[in-house]
Amino acid sequence: MTTGTMTQSRKAIGAVALLALAAVLPLAVTEPSQQNFLILILMGAQMGVAWNIVGGYAGQVSLGHAVFYGIGAYTSTMLLVSLGISPWIGAVAGGLVAALFALAMGWPCFRLKGHYFAMATIAVAEIMQILVTNSDLLEGAVGLTLPMDRSGWGALIFLAKLPYYYLILGLLVLTVAVAWAIERSHIGYYFRAIKDEPEAARALGVSLTRYKLIALSVSAFLTALGGSFYAQKEMFIDPGSVFATTVSIKIALIAILGGVGTLLGPVLGAVILITIEEYSRTLFGSTGSGTDMIIYAAMIILVAVFSPSGVLGLLSDLRRHIGRRLPGGTKTAKADKLEVRP
Amino acid sequence: MRFTGTKTRSSATAPVRRQLTRQMPVRRRTMTRMIAAAALLATTALGGLTAGAARAEDEIRIGVIYPLTGAAASTGVELKAAAELAAAIVNKEIPAPAGLVAGVGMPHLKGAKIKLIFGDHQGNPQVGSTEAERLITSEKVSALAGAYFSNVTATASQVAERYGVPFLNGESSSATLTQRKFKWFFRTTPHDDLFVTNFFTFLEDMEKKTGDNLRGIGLFNENTLWGNETTKLQTKLAEERKFTIAEKIVYPAKTTQMTSEVQRLKAANPAVIMQSSYLGDAILSMKTYKELGFLPKMLLANDAGFNDSEFLKTMGKDGEDIISREVWALDQADRNPLIRQVNDLMRERSGVNFNGNSARAFTAIAVLADAIDRAGSTQPDAIRKALQETDIPAAGLIMPWKGVKFDANGQNELGQGIIVQVQNGQYVTVWPFDVATKPVVYPMPAWDGR
Repeated sequence: MTTGTMTQSRKAIGAVALLALAAVLPLAVTEPSQQNFLILILMGAQMGVAWNIVGGYAGQVSLGHAVFYGIGAYTSTMLLVSLGISPWIGAVAGGLVAALFALAMGWPCFRLKGHYFAMATIAVAEIMQILVTNSDLLEGAVGLTLPMDRSGWGALIFLAKLPYYYLILGLLVLTVAVAWAIERSHIGYYFRAIKDEPEAARALGVSLTRYKLIALSVSAFLTALGGSFYAQKEMFIDPGSVFATTVSIKIALIAILGGVGTLLGPVLGAVILITIEEYSRTLFGSTGSGTDMIIYAAMIILVAVFSPSGVLGLLSDLRRHIGRRLPGGTKTAKADKLEVRP
Repeated sequence: MRFTGTKTRSSATAPVRRQLTRQMPVRRRTMTRMIAAAALLATTALGGLTAGAARAEDEIRIGVIYPLTGAAASTGVELKAAAELAAAIVNKEIPAPAGLVAGVGMPHLKGAKIKLIFGDHQGNPQVGSTEAERLITSEKVSALAGAYFSNVTATASQVAERYGVPFLNGESSSATLTQRKFKWFFRTTPHDDLFVTNFFTFLEDMEKKTGDNLRGIGLFNENTLWGNETTKLQTKLAEERKFTIAEKIVYPAKTTQMTSEVQRLKAANPAVIMQSSYLGDAILSMKTYKELGFLPKMLLANDAGFNDSEFLKTMGKDGEDIISREVWALDQADRNPLIRQVNDLMRERSGVNFNGNSARAFTAIAVLADAIDRAGSTQPDAIRKALQETDIPAAGLIMPWKGVKFDANGQNELGQGIIVQVQNGQYVTVWPFDVATKPVVYPMPAWDGR
């Protein structure tokens, strides 16, 4: 029991140190394009952590998360552009719309299991993209442009990169905090029970549909916040950029690559995936021969083959491996074992 | 004990992991994983090292963003080749064709060379803005050009606007791009609204020329965004210019049956049909027209399916005399020796002729280089001012335009589309009359007279 508390406090120290590092990082990285790169990583991490709540903990793999991302982006932007409502309110509104949409979508879709659920989510996202593309109200395929003349914390539009960095860092912390709270609460145990043994969970009186819906709507809410941030940062949205299938795939890929069902796995996944994506493009993209995409794909395949439980799984295996050789290393292994037991 | 960790991970991957563990000895497995991790790290580190390469001071750096990978990669590579040809001409690597306005040799900048730095946006607006930011802040470009896709141009130019760097767009036609009141955005190509407007001007010109009444028009458009937008604009313009819409049909884009639609058109019998179709429906509509023995005096197609290289292959003689809009046509080379010369250079270098996209990409770089030379400086403010003062006559361009001159929104107000007609299996320019290479065949001969 004492070792458990010790690990807890050690983890808390680690988390605070990590956060402090993230907070001061822009002081060292001052070039805007490098800061932009950090923002992209944090955006990816936030999406991945949000996805992980339903895709990782509850084990319901969604390949249609772009639908929530897009709803978030469109709701806050429409409110800002047509009614002049601050994105602070718009983003929350977008989150609520996305959560409601998740409930409406989850109710029929959760009747499907496994791959069929994943396929249904792809279909919903595709339908949504087509609907928005043909909607006059939302300017269809032309897209929405955010007003550039309104900058500042009220409109959440900035000329510098730094405010965006701290905004997305804050959003990531919020998302991780929600995921952490869920992980520790009884809901988190229900989620994992639903993932591992749905029949047993049902036999113990856990309402499968209810908790799956909770997982999806919380995940949708957070994903939509990420979508609103995208709109504020890029200042232009169209169905092809926020409702695209590639967005859905990327969200899922980040979490899967980093480590499904782990708190910080998606953060690590985002660091790796976005780094590969950006640098392979910077280095090889301008050749026009597709080298960057080949390297990008090869890296993902490497991780998938050698570490199917994600990079975080790889790291913890390494740690255990090294730990066993060092004197006293077995203690760490025991502590791990104690901790994962519900 | 080894499996304690898997409990928190996905149950879907757990069996795979177990299998792997059974098959591979522990050490080897960890070794291979370490190699994989090392490979990951190596790429990242390599990227970090080479990202900020050294640069010469006497070159003028221009960032160019195109879709070099992804679905539009083949177009992107063509655009890149055209931009590189323009740069080679500006830098006097190849002899410049006489008359071309492109700041050749950069006389006002002591013969400095321009260097194009390409960024790949993969057809993704966010990647477009990321690349724009990288080109501006780490590659220190003096100006940006690109990005072909309208939505990518929207995000990339927005970054340029924030940093106060001129962005010259040569190929995106969404009308909204120049309605944003941007200070640093310039566009040489005409936009979509102008193309539709051209049809009505063309009809008025044809009325004057033939003395016929062409006021009754039929709209026949497909029902996705493009067709719907076109229908709206055509309806508005018809009213403004006093044309009557005899029939307006919006059909499902993937239809397999057009008999009832064509019968309605036949009953309304308009003098002119304006049609927006993709390839499949363009062919189907032509077959149905023939079956029902119907043809208007003129069939005005809105590019797309009717200009696809497959269209004439499938239609053969039945595709003759169709009129369509275009941005550029190869027969322009017959009219203008400058276009011929530049096209020959393009073919020598890349083995292909210009098309509407690559000709516009070439023009964008040429116009930008001209402005930088006149600015006599690589300062963004000076370049912006020179762009605003741009006034290139038609003779200095390879485009069928009246010239290049930007209005307050940065839109080239002298740009125009052209109208081509299929004559003897070729698309020939028939309008505007001053750049036409052949007269219009009017009216379209009836099916039985072919």
